[in-house]
Amino acid sequence: MLLQVQNLQLSLKRAGKFISILDDVSFQVQKGETLGIVGESGCGKSMTALSIMRLLPDKAKLAGEVKVGSEVISKLSKKKLEKIRGNQISMIFQDPLTSLNPLHTVGKQIEEALILHTNLTKKERKDRVVELLKEVGLPRAEEMVKEYPHQLSGGMRQRIMIAIAMACRPQLLICDEPTTALDVTVQAQILELMNKLKQENDMGIIMITHDLGVVAEVCNRVMVMYAGKVVEEAEVNELFQRPRHPYTIGLLEAIPRVGERKRTLGSIPGTVPSPQNLPIGCRFADRCKDAMEICRQAQPKTLQLTDDHRVACWLYDERREDLKDDITRNQESKTTLSH
Amino acid sequence: MGAIRFIVKRLILMLPILLGITILTFFISNTIPGDPARLILGPKATPEGIERLREEMGLNDPIYVQYGKYMYGLVQGDFGKSTYSQQAVSEDLKRYFPATFELTLFSMFLTVLIGIPFGIISANKKDKIPDQITRFMALTGVAMPAFWLGIILLLFFYLKIGILPGGGRIDSWVSPPEAITGMYTIDSLLTGNWEALKSSLIHLILPGFTQAAVTIGMITRMTRSSMLEVLRSDYIRTAYAKGGSENRVLYGHALQNGMMPILTLMGMTFGHALGGSVLVESVFSWPGLGRYAVNAINYLDFPAVMGVTILIAVLFITVNLIIDILYHVIDPRLKYE
Amino acid sequence: MTLLEIKNLKQHFPISKGFLSEKKYVKAVDGVSFTLNKGETLGIVGESGCGKSSLGRSILRLAEPTSGEIKFKGQDILKFNRKQMKNIRKDMQIVFQDPYASLNPRSTIRSILEAPLKIHGIGNREERMKLIESLVEKIGIRKDQLDNYPHEFSGGQRQRIGIARALTLNPDLIIADEPVSALDVSVQSQVLNLFVELQKEFNLSYIFISHDLSVVQHISDRVAVMYLGKIVELAHVDQLYQNPLHPYTKSLLSALPIPDPSQKRERIILEGDLPSPINPPTGCAFHTRCPVATSDCRTETPALREKQFGHWAACIYV
Repeated sequence: MLLQVQNLQLSLKRAGKFISILDDVSFQVQKGETLGIVGESGCGKSMTALSIMRLLPDKAKLAGEVKVGSEVISKLSKKKLEKIRGNQISMIFQDPLTSLNPLHTVGKQIEEALILHTNLTKKERKDRVVELLKEVGLPRAEEMVKEYPHQLSGGMRQRIMIAIAMACRPQLLICDEPTTALDVTVQAQILELMNKLKQENDMGIIMITHDLGVVAEVCNRVMVMYAGKVVEEAEVNELFQRPRHPYTIGLLEAIPRVGERKRTLGSIPGTVPSPQNLPIGCRFADRCKDAMEICRQAQPKTLQLTDDHRVACWLYDERREDLKDDITRNQESKTTLSH
Repeated sequence: MGAIRFIVKRLILMLPILLGITILTFFISNTIPGDPARLILGPKATPEGIERLREEMGLNDPIYVQYGKYMYGLVQGDFGKSTYSQQAVSEDLKRYFPATFELTLFSMFLTVLIGIPFGIISANKKDKIPDQITRFMALTGVAMPAFWLGIILLLFFYLKIGILPGGGRIDSWVSPPEAITGMYTIDSLLTGNWEALKSSLIHLILPGFTQAAVTIGMITRMTRSSMLEVLRSDYIRTAYAKGGSENRVLYGHALQNGMMPILTLMGMTFGHALGGSVLVESVFSWPGLGRYAVNAINYLDFPAVMGVTILIAVLFITVNLIIDILYHVIDPRLKYE
Repeated sequence: MTLLEIKNLKQHFPISKGFLSEKKYVKAVDGVSFTLNKGETLGIVGESGCGKSSLGRSILRLAEPTSGEIKFKGQDILKFNRKQMKNIRKDMQIVFQDPYASLNPRSTIRSILEAPLKIHGIGNREERMKLIESLVEKIGIRKDQLDNYPHEFSGGQRQRIGIARALTLNPDLIIADEPVSALDVSVQSQVLNLFVELQKEFNLSYIFISHDLSVVQHISDRVAVMYLGKIVELAHVDQLYQNPLHPYTKSLLSALPIPDPSQKRERIILEGDLPSPINPPTGCAFHTRCPVATSDCRTETPALREKQFGHWAACIYV
């Protein structure tokens, strides 16, 4: 097991109050595997990634355990964590232009990772930087070392970001919407490059995206998040063929697909609940066409449907009938008490 | 290549600006009521005497002729003769300017040394105690009038506990270093005169700090706000994601990116410090250009006023040119145009 | 019935480079021609910098085109004066990508929607309110939300408001510039469905500009593919997606990730990036990246020709 995340809880301070951003997020990544994390904006997928790296804003409350190999990194000191960031775990981001320092040359920015984590001499580092540039498919690597990010195109910049991330041969690469800011043809180049690098280096990848096309293209397993919770996780073919959670089903029906034209797309009514105002029951209940009484009253537990498929939905919980009685009884007693 | 062309172009552009400044100063100072000749000769002067002197000083010529004569001298490096000190203005400037320049440089040095680190700490610890303290100090610095702060500092450090001198550039029993630049600290460094160096440095502390108080406050606040913006950038997150330590990220990535507005403000404060040294020089009996300029105005000493104005203008433009060049050194996205 | 006819439209933006150096132009739109029928949706698709947004703006004369002809309802609107233009703008409206940036944050939804009616002096206050109220109900905003401000709505709702504003004057043509790009999938489908419903109800014609091939396919009757300021292929949507002729369209379609892991395809992966529109390649602008380009492509500029019935492409080898 490469990465194990257990019961991640994250709250951020907004306008003086702590609000819950992630609730009970658990997952694993194996060596050589790509885990996709999908969901719409605000579902917490990026925050999950930043929580692993602990690159969170000030005043964040983080609980839960993050294990890389056998080492628990969620309890490490700042100094020790710095040794892991960019070394064992690397990250690339959505917008390659703003993610690169505009005032440093490309070479300097790649070299920095080597200065931080290796004992290579200056000469060796220079050679390694050129080697990395070639590895990520950049032509005229020798000259590019001296260039600045603004002189390069979007696709080239993202390749530079990948070179920085790959500099120390990480075990785990976290990609936060790495192709969202890029054009389709360039996106295809970058996805191909990432697949190549994964195979060559046998590393694990977490691919965070809102694009189900990208997921289908590069992921082995997919985790769907909604309003800070994991609602479903499955092997990629399983998820696309047998989605179980009504949200996942809705998402898959809502995307227009090339090759099949229907006049009306499936859609999910309403909008995501704001984190300041989360329901007590299932967070999707208000938009769910299958919502039952119990969905509004209690959060569903995560159920392991098969070895490679888990879902958090009352529809699949056999206990829902029994629990329903319990809850109604509870509420009745509450109402009698208040009388 | 581009850089040299840029500098030459900017230097050529300086000429019309300077010409404008000479015209403005010349004509404005000549509209000030009062007669320099009368002032020189004193209350007992006869009208004939005044008339003769006016004729001698060329004051009876039409104003554009006066200006033309002045400019004719100026292009040959002749600033005219001070009517008050009866010396060549250029000699006077040579005497007084280094003192002011030394004080200004020292206060800018303090500003950078104190203001920027405090601004960075303040931004990095936003809303925490270090930030609160720094912000309070910065506000105090900006709000406090320089002459008042100077007097308070004098009262305390000179009169009360007596560890710092009460004025002047150097102790009376120490002979000033051999004049090379005219700046005592630098000259004594160059000549290896340690006694003079120590004495002149000690004399710089109070006036330097008094003059720097406002600029430290301004630079601290500017650094803070500029850094706050930079620290929110994606590339700062990238730097941390690479495994960079807080210091490495702050000083290796953030500061350089936050430097532009700080540089701009520094250029402006430098001019402000040069022009605003009058009060500080008076409080600390600093024999500088500020006091010379005040005297020149009081005695309608037009050549001296012109000399001071031109000198400060040239310096101000030069400093801003240097800052422009620094922009380009820092930011590769700018092109020399 | 033809509603809009564009002939050889050009939009060249000068970029100043000092007053003595040679003047250069960004040829954002470089000789585009097409027609649009009443009730039809023309999708315009292409990568960033291909000129699709500039095209939308120049059709509305939001930026003055360099040359060409824009015939709207049979009249060349490029010859119109200000007053005529103001009148005709009632019939052609635009919906922008970022609904938040295009709605005045200090105005209520009611006054945002009333503004265009007021400007054109339509109805009295009462009639205007009636119209607005019936309109917002159609787009899925409640009447009692009319006095709220834009920030009180979600992204999808704001885009609905943007659409409602475009509809207040009962236009014939709506140019939608990346209208769903900023929205999440589930909301995007709501807004796309709304576009389809409104089209039926008001017999609207759309020019739907987007970088998203699947969205364009979903909404359009015909699709134009742009590359560096030119249309390289134009056809009925099914023809274009099932039988693309131009090598650029082929590679675009093959680069698109398909949300179905069981479908594995051979990819045509293009080399390099979009060349700069300031200095576009000679001949066929696509030749620098084209997998089948020959030396002829470097010199010969291909014209957009009808290669099959209703299927136009600009490539000498098709």
